[in-house]
Amino acid sequence: MSDAGTAGRAGGWSIRETLAGKRVLLTGASGFVGKVWLAMMLDRLPQIGRIYVLLRGKGRGARERFEKIVNESPVFKPLHEAQEGRMSEFVSQRVEVVAGDVSAPKLGMDDATYERLVADVDVVLNFAGLVDFNPDVRDALASNVDGAMHVADFCERSGRAVLLHVSTCYVAGHRDGRVPEAPVGDRSPGGKPLQAQAEYAALQQLIADVHAENDDPATEASLRDDVLRRLAERGHEGDYKRVTDMVGRLKRKRLRENMAKAGTDRAKSLGWPNTYTYTKALAEALLQQRADRVRVSVLRPAIVESATEFPFAGWNEGFNTSGPLVYLAGTWFRHVPAAAGNPLDVIPVDFVCKAITIVACALLRDEASPVYQCGSSDRNFLAIDRLTELSALGHRKHLREHGANALEKLVLSRWDAKAADPEHVLNVTNIRKLMAQVTRYLKHGRPEKIPSEVREWADDMSKTTDNGVRKLRQIEDVLELFMPFTYEHYCVFVCRAIDRHVIIEPEFRFAPETIEWRSYWLDVHMPGLRRWCFPEYEDKPKEIYTPKTPFRLLDPPAAASPSVTSTSVGEVGS
Amino acid sequence: MSATHTAAFFRAEGVLVSSGVMHAAMFMAGQRAGMRERALRFGQALASVPVFGLLGQNDRTLGNRVAHLCYRDMTEDRVVVLAEEYVEDVLLEKVLDSGVELLRKAKADGHRVVVLSEGIGEIMHRLRERLRYVDDLICNALEYRDGKATGKLREPVIGGYEGGKWLKQYAAEHDLDLSRSFAYGTHGPDLLLLSAVGHPCAVNPDPTLRKAAREADWPVMDYSA
Repeated sequence: MSDAGTAGRAGGWSIRETLAGKRVLLTGASGFVGKVWLAMMLDRLPQIGRIYVLLRGKGRGARERFEKIVNESPVFKPLHEAQEGRMSEFVSQRVEVVAGDVSAPKLGMDDATYERLVADVDVVLNFAGLVDFNPDVRDALASNVDGAMHVADFCERSGRAVLLHVSTCYVAGHRDGRVPEAPVGDRSPGGKPLQAQAEYAALQQLIADVHAENDDPATEASLRDDVLRRLAERGHEGDYKRVTDMVGRLKRKRLRENMAKAGTDRAKSLGWPNTYTYTKALAEALLQQRADRVRVSVLRPAIVESATEFPFAGWNEGFNTSGPLVYLAGTWFRHVPAAAGNPLDVIPVDFVCKAITIVACALLRDEASPVYQCGSSDRNFLAIDRLTELSALGHRKHLREHGANALEKLVLSRWDAKAADPEHVLNVTNIRKLMAQVTRYLKHGRPEKIPSEVREWADDMSKTTDNGVRKLRQIEDVLELFMPFTYEHYCVFVCRAIDRHVIIEPEFRFAPETIEWRSYWLDVHMPGLRRWCFPEYEDKPKEIYTPKTPFRLLDPPAAASPSVTSTSVGEVGS
Repeated sequence: MSATHTAAFFRAEGVLVSSGVMHAAMFMAGQRAGMRERALRFGQALASVPVFGLLGQNDRTLGNRVAHLCYRDMTEDRVVVLAEEYVEDVLLEKVLDSGVELLRKAKADGHRVVVLSEGIGEIMHRLRERLRYVDDLICNALEYRDGKATGKLREPVIGGYEGGKWLKQYAAEHDLDLSRSFAYGTHGPDLLLLSAVGHPCAVNPDPTLRKAAREADWPVMDYSA
């Protein structure tokens, strides 16, 4: 079903011509990758037919959410600037926001919308997913597995819509060596037999068991006893309503914790490091079983990080993978837990978006592979000890100029971080414990009779150390989550399938070998983290973008679809 | 057919900047990753100062090899970043204005301006960006293996007597008439360079070169800024 009109030019085919006039359903558009992909398409592929953006929220809720994203996220800044006052018309001509939820049957849409889209959509891009590593397993199952099944249902019902499902390289689980671009096999990374349907059923049973245990009268009685005992210790007599409310809260909290633990335990027992990678792998396995009915490709990005050039160099957001490692390298704690020589498979977000676009086109051209991996370790290796040193050098450059005081400028800037064994005596856990001990002393252990100035100093200092303990705890949690990738396993993700597709537009080519890591890390990634991510770690307000003319999503009659003719395609693309 | 172009050759150390390779090596050694490594390599650099001083009068090739040993196992990333820091924070303060004026004049007179340096490329290329008027820079290069310096310099090592050999080849490649060209040197081993051109000049010369310049009746310039 290859389109002859788009092939054969200079031995490759055109992204623009393949996607011109095509209708895309996009899930997960509010996420890091989703937003960049959407902005990239609007910026570089205005001849696309229509992008249906599935967002949670009913009625105007989804539309308002979309307007907020487009108005506030810096991702859309280049588009706002390019369109000047025409942003509302430009975007509304190309985007239709659909209220829904991937975790619900029929994607949470009303029947009429669902049927309209089933008849209209050419390609579904499923970016939706819960990226928390160890969430409540019910949430992970709903977003990562049920969501994937619901988009597959959509494509199956359509009969012609193709599906690109975005997964992660780390479905490989606890594994060493080169990881091929192959479907999830019939064995888990831990070597146990893996039958997707049976595993899905087992997971549901696990959830039911945790529910049942939590609802057990004995559990409730035990919680009630605890509440009464605590109230009595504080000298309170709990009335019935108060006790019942407290027990209810405790039960819900306990249920969430047990659900998270059950997911993690199940994942680990099968050889995955966390619930996220386990549920993503399960979704892949289930999708694989439907490959005879749905044309589907799975794209597995590795660790998605700051953009190299789109929407602009350094764009990043959230509590990402390398962020905490880089942040740690800029503090007084030198020993970043990582194994020297292990790769950290970083891939810039705009590279991922290009890969997604290529694979979506390959699917439309009926020449796609079942699995694509999208990383750098196979083609442009970056060792974790190298990036640790680069991070320390980047902080050095920054602190020499922008350090808050002489101590930071002269000493902290030269306080090099290095990859070290997690058991090193100066690891984050030990430092945190030491700092917590200092905090306890400053708060409760100091002598009663001390000068008021010293007392005030101790109070201020205890707040600082307390804050430090909290931050270290956060970093420690994240480092522990990433330990399988930074220390325990040496994985190189093969990333070659995408090379089968020769693209004529250079701006859409996927070429991670062109990344020069030193300049990327020092001049792009670290400044990006410093601006967009570190404020979040430090509980500072996020920088938001404010366009000169706010974007409003116009109703369909005011925003006719862009006309697609061969002439207009050429003009827009040139 | 006679050559049509002329050049002015400048030894960087002593003519354009007041510090030499030992200064840079000690700075780099003092910024190694980790306290132990810093102490070890700084000590190594310090110990090589008298060796370099002794050899520098005659065999600067060996002196340079000794001076750059303290780069061993330093990552290329670190060398590049610290080189930038060294140039911006230290070396620019040591640029000799009188030397820069010579560069400017040579350029204004239409000569191809060539700077020779015993320093490593990571430092000298960055300095070149800040010194205008330079057409070509010839300097030493560290050898790297797996992203780390081996502590060796790549051949040919700049600084020794072989300066005269490459000069002839360079002149042929760039169609230079050496008899109408200029050269500014500082050290004994620059003798070959100076004697190969029609207009040699000893700048802040060391004792060996000062004596030779006096005997050959070459002009001698002394400046400290």
